[in-house]
Order: sequence, then C-alpha cells, then structure tokens
Amino acid sequence: MMDRRTFLSACGCAPMAMQVATETDAFKSIGTKVRITRMKVFGVSLTPDSDRPYVFVKIETSAGVEGWGEATLEGKAAAVMACVVDFKEHILGADPMMVEHLWQSMYVHSFYRAGPVIGSAISGIDQALWDIRGKLLGLPVYKLLGGPMDLRGVRGYYHMRGTTLEELRAQRDIAKSEGITCFKGGIPGYFEWIDTSAKIKQAVQSMERLREGLGPDIDIGVDFHAKTSPSVASILVKEAEPLNLLFIEEPCPPENVKAMARISARSTTPIATGERLIASYGCRELIEAGVVDILQPDINHAGGITALWKIGAMAELAGISMAPHACEGPIGGLATLHVDAATPNFLVQEICSGVKPEMKEKVWEEWLGFPAMRMVNGRFPLPEKPGLGFTLDEGKLKKYPFGGTRSMARVFHEDGSVAEW
Amino acid sequence: MNALLLRRARLAGAQTVATQAGSDPSSAAIADVKLWRLREPISRRVYSVIRIRTRGGLLGFGEAGAVSSEELVRGSQIVQGKAVTSFEVLDRQLTVTPNLQPAINMALLDIVGKIANAPVYQVLGGPTRHKARVITMLEGATDAELVASMKSASAAGYRAFIVPLPTAQWRNNGKQFTDAVTNRLKALRAESPNADFVLDAAAKLTAGDAGMIAAALEPFHILWFDEPTPDWNRKVAARVSQETVTPVGFGRTARAGDFQELLREQAIDVLRPGLQQHGISRLRRLAALAEPYYTAIAPFHDGGPIATVAALHMAASVPNFFIQQIPHANNEKDRAMRAQLFKRPEVMVKDGFTSLPSGPGLGIQVDEDALMRYEERPA
Repeated sequence: MMDRRTFLSACGCAPMAMQVATETDAFKSIGTKVRITRMKVFGVSLTPDSDRPYVFVKIETSAGVEGWGEATLEGKAAAVMACVVDFKEHILGADPMMVEHLWQSMYVHSFYRAGPVIGSAISGIDQALWDIRGKLLGLPVYKLLGGPMDLRGVRGYYHMRGTTLEELRAQRDIAKSEGITCFKGGIPGYFEWIDTSAKIKQAVQSMERLREGLGPDIDIGVDFHAKTSPSVASILVKEAEPLNLLFIEEPCPPENVKAMARISARSTTPIATGERLIASYGCRELIEAGVVDILQPDINHAGGITALWKIGAMAELAGISMAPHACEGPIGGLATLHVDAATPNFLVQEICSGVKPEMKEKVWEEWLGFPAMRMVNGRFPLPEKPGLGFTLDEGKLKKYPFGGTRSMARVFHEDGSVAEW
Repeated sequence: MNALLLRRARLAGAQTVATQAGSDPSSAAIADVKLWRLREPISRRVYSVIRIRTRGGLLGFGEAGAVSSEELVRGSQIVQGKAVTSFEVLDRQLTVTPNLQPAINMALLDIVGKIANAPVYQVLGGPTRHKARVITMLEGATDAELVASMKSASAAGYRAFIVPLPTAQWRNNGKQFTDAVTNRLKALRAESPNADFVLDAAAKLTAGDAGMIAAALEPFHILWFDEPTPDWNRKVAARVSQETVTPVGFGRTARAGDFQELLREQAIDVLRPGLQQHGISRLRRLAALAEPYYTAIAPFHDGGPIATVAALHMAASVPNFFIQQIPHANNEKDRAMRAQLFKRPEVMVKDGFTSLPSGPGLGIQVDEDALMRYEERPA
C-alpha cells in the first residue's frame, strides 16, 4: 500500500521538504518554551432545541495557563465542532504565543480557504490563543492591541423587543435612565423580489414608528437582514432618509458587492454589512469599492481577534467604521470588546439582548460570575484581568449538554418558495 | 458618489472621539520624553533618537527623522501621564506631530515588551518567521563604484542590493539610457551571479521611460523596480505595471491612505512605507491592508540602527513581510557610530538574512553616552 508521501510524490504534488519541517524545530531558538498540551471543544445548548448551541474551545498549555474561545456557528454546531478537532495537528504541540503564524497555517493550509465552518473554527482557536497570550504576558488583550480608546468602556446597543409605540417608549425610558444611546430594530415580514405598495408602506411605517417611539436623541439601526432584494431595498433606504438612522444593515444578501453598491448609492443613510463575511479577504472588495459606511464582522466567524483587528485596520484606511456583530455566546462577546476597545474607527458594539436581561444572560452570569455583556451607562465595561479577562470552570457547562445541531429558521413565501429571514 | 460623501460626513459626527483615553496614574505612565539629534560623520545621514521614561523608571527608545523642538514640546505634552500600553490611542493623538509619532510608537512598544517580559514581535502576535530577509542600498555614482560597494556589503552578509539609476540626460530618454541601466545591472550580476537586485528610480522617471526600462529589465528578473515614477498621480503610476510584468514598489513618501489607492489601481507589487514615517503599528496596519491583495510589505529605511531593529520586530509579527532595507555603511566611521549606539552589537546579517532581536522589548541596550557623543549641537 502506498503511504501518503509516496502518493503525493507520485502525483507530482509533494510539498517541498522545507515546507513540511515542523515549526517547532525552526522556531526553537526564538519562541517560548510553552507548548499546547490539549484542545477541547464543547457543544453547549441552553435549551435542548436551541438553534445555536454554543461551541466553546478550551486550550491548555504546559505552563498551566488555559485559554477559552468561541466558535459558535448558528445552525451548524456539529460541523464546526468537528472542524475544530480537525485543526488539532496545527495546534497540539505548538507554541501558543505564535497566534498569527498559527492563524495563517489554519487558513492557508486549509487550501480551500475559509467559509463559515472553517472561519468559525479558526475564530474559536484564535480567541483561546489570545486569551493565553494575554495571561502569559500579564495584560488584558485590549492593552496588547494598544487600547483602550475610551476608558469608560465600549459603546453598545441592545435589540428592540416589541413593535408597538407603548413597548418602544417603555424601552426608551429604561434606556434613558441607564444611559443607553442606541438600539437596533428590524422590519416585519418577508419580501418578494419586487414588492407591493402595501408591503413597502408597512416597512417604512415600522421604521417611522421606531423613530417616533425612541425619540430624536437615541441612535437607531435597522436590520433588513438581507430579506430584501436590491430593488426593494433601494426604495426603502430612500424613503427612510428623513429618519436619519445610524445605519441600515444588510439591505441585500452578502455575496454581490455591486448589488450592495447599487443600494448604497441611492441613499444618504449609512449602510452596514459584514456579519457573514470571513477574514479580511471577505471584506476586501467592499472596502476597496467604498460601498458601505460600517462593517460588522463577527469575531466568532471572521477568524477571531486576529481577523477582526485586520478588518478594522483596512477599514480605517478607507474611512469605514466598525460595529461588530455578536449574537452568540458570552466568550465571543467579551473577546470582541477587546478589539473594539483598541479600534480607532470603532462605532458601536452589538449584543443580541434586550434592555431587560433575559434567560441566557442569567446563565452567562452563572458561568462567569459577572453580568457579561451588560452595559453600564451605555457602555460595556472593560475587563481588568489579563487575557480575555474571565475564568470559566468547564464543570459549569455540564448543566447544558449539547442538544445536537438544529437548523436556523426555515421560512417560505405564500406560494411555498424559499424566503430569506 | 455624493450620497456616500454626505453619509461619511454624518457618520463622522456619530463617532465617539478618543480624547480622554489613556490617562494612567500607575508606574506604567509616561513621565518624560528626551530627544537626541544625531548625524553620521561621513554619510551625513540625520536621525533623532527619542527616549521615553515611565514613572516607574522603565526606558523605551525610538527613532525619527528630523524633529523640531516645537514638535517635541507638543508631543511630550500629549503623551505625559498616559499609559504606555495605549500606543494605538496615542498614535492617533500624535497625528499633529507626524515626525515624532513613529518614534513614540517604537519607544512605547519597547516599554510594553519590557513590562510583558517579551520581545515586541511576541507582544504583537509573532513570531511569524525566525529570521528576516534583508537588502541594502549600494553607494556610488559609477558602475565600478557600485560593484565595489556590493563587494563590501556582500562581505557583510548581504545578498540583495538596491541599485540607483544612472543619471539621465534628458526628461525623456531612449536607447542610450535604457542601455546604461541594463549595463549597470549586467555588470553587477556578472560580479555576483546569485545576488538579487532592486532598481531604484527614486521617482525621477516619466511613466514612458519607466515602462520602457521595466520592459527591458523583464529578462533580468529583478526583485522589483522601486519608485519608478512619482506616486501622487495613481493613473500615471499604474502605467508601469500595466505595460510590463516587472514588479513595482512604491511608498517611501506615500501617506498611509495612498496605499489603498495604489492597490485598488493595481499599480503596486511591493509596499514600501518607511519606519520613520509610520512606526511599527502603522506598518502593521498597512501589512493588514496588503494581505488580501496577496501583496507584501518591504519597509523602506534609510536611517539609524534603532528603527532597523524596530523593523525586524514588525517583520516577525506579520505574515506578508518580504524583505527589510537596512543601511550598510561602506566606511569605518559611520559603522563605528552605528555600533557604538548600542551596548550590544547591531543586527548581524548572514547569507542575506538577519536573526531576530532577542530580549524583552526591542531587545536593544542604548548607550546614552554614545548618543551624547554623536549629538549634533547648534553651532
């Protein structure tokens, strides 16, 4: 039987000997003596039928220091857990300080580059490595990155819960008393390729109601969630102009930059996008073409701290602001705060929670011992401790066993055809 | 796109400004900034060394080009009392002192590394490599002088050389000048068949001449053609790489934002921003910008030994570094000065590469007595 190397030589695609030499040999004289001894991956379902079980990565080292990261990928939990395990050859035995080198190896040597599954797996590992780096160097990650830009913390926004004027006003009152400066809402229903006057009016009225309920001095983002085609979105962004929204998010799906550009050119309302894009490679065309005003990469998918920082650096040179997406668990949420705090072109940080704490946030507090991702005076406080700034006992996760992968919502139009949500 | 500009303006108002960040009551706060202005005895190269001291007594060193006294006073006021770890914050606040800002960035990272007890490249996520490829500029006006300069630099371990252009007689030139360029490279390659070359036009050519020479050099496989034309007109700069496949480098006088345009215009194969112009942090940002264009950074440097060391830390912290320009003095006096600034020897070059600096921070021990010896005082 042919072994792998013989097979590769036979087909003329053997990697050169120089390239297969292990990093550990080549870097022996300059790296640290610390080695990664173990990598564990946890699937954590807050409810048995959760569509987004958290995927947590824990990396242990010979120095006794451990790091946590998050690789949650909504609707594809088992795939990303398997992908994390697939990276064990890159990670086990490596010097955990060499995060950029390991990132490159995971991305480039994956050959097909990274989509959301590989991107999320890299993200979880990368965050855990940064957690370890910070702990070994004795500094919180945002200080390693040269921050904080604002000592008071990181400006954030909650999601609107409810759509009636009474509900909106009640949330505005809480927000004002707590110093919260920004909210995000959506538009109702699903949209056809071209839509009716009734649907368009309904969407515009829902945006007008957000402004009416929240008043003139709270910033409002509206998430179209890629439900709308460029044709429909163009009308909506135009008609929303008088509302002076902070941004309109994902006015069309993410694959076609020119389609996004068409919408963007038709309105003065800032356009935001990016939660489904992977690495700086995935954002390059948008940034280069100056299509959007705000980028919203997700630290759990884009490639962790390393990738989010690079996207921010590219965006800064193009006058684009950063408003990272975060709709998964608390580890990615806390990790993203570190990058935000060191990003000069940072605008605002999302958290998919309401102004009143919800069930998941009680669990997060139970795990981490503090109200993670809850704002104080409109800002997420910055951790003081080295690394990502928290400790997590893996035993506490046992109460929420992995309930298996669950699909995200599947929605359909009146005629049964597939709709975006 | 007018709509876009309007939106940008509105968005600018929505952003929080990092004005009050960075104040730090701890011992890691900046106490003072000191500056020495140096001049090399033979090359007459001028650079400034700055030293930041923390309240706890830690020292960090950085290098700048020429810095005015007004700039030093203003920059010192901005950074005093601020945390050394807030180097990105201070980078933005020091845009009003652009000559000082890169040196402050190096000095702050030197101190952060000392606090973390790690080399700067490790603080920044490296190492991404265990040695760094280097190149040096040849000195001389004639082919024979350049060959002699190459022999001296080869003996010092260099294997890649930046070659200046012969002097052009006219604004636009034909065969005679193209032959002079190719003959110069032939003479150097005959002397050293395995060496690699960069041709430096120092932005002196028209796009027409640059294209003609780049085409003539295609069979030579030079590493790249540096600053073939001025870079301020992107369309003109882009012509060289449209017409030929000789790789093109730009950047020693470019502002950070210019690189995005050069990449967008597909005008650039190698980013050449300088250490004294950008510091470590901004070079890292430019490397991040270049990465998704499958393009590398090869920082320009024609200054002193501190920024040389800073460059190596940058090189070992990014994936898409190609080669670092290091000044090599052909004469004893300049060499002696550069060596004396450090208590340990300057970077050693071997077979075209240097090893990475070791020790916490930048890994250098600056001899302040030597700084005083070489300080240029007003007459």
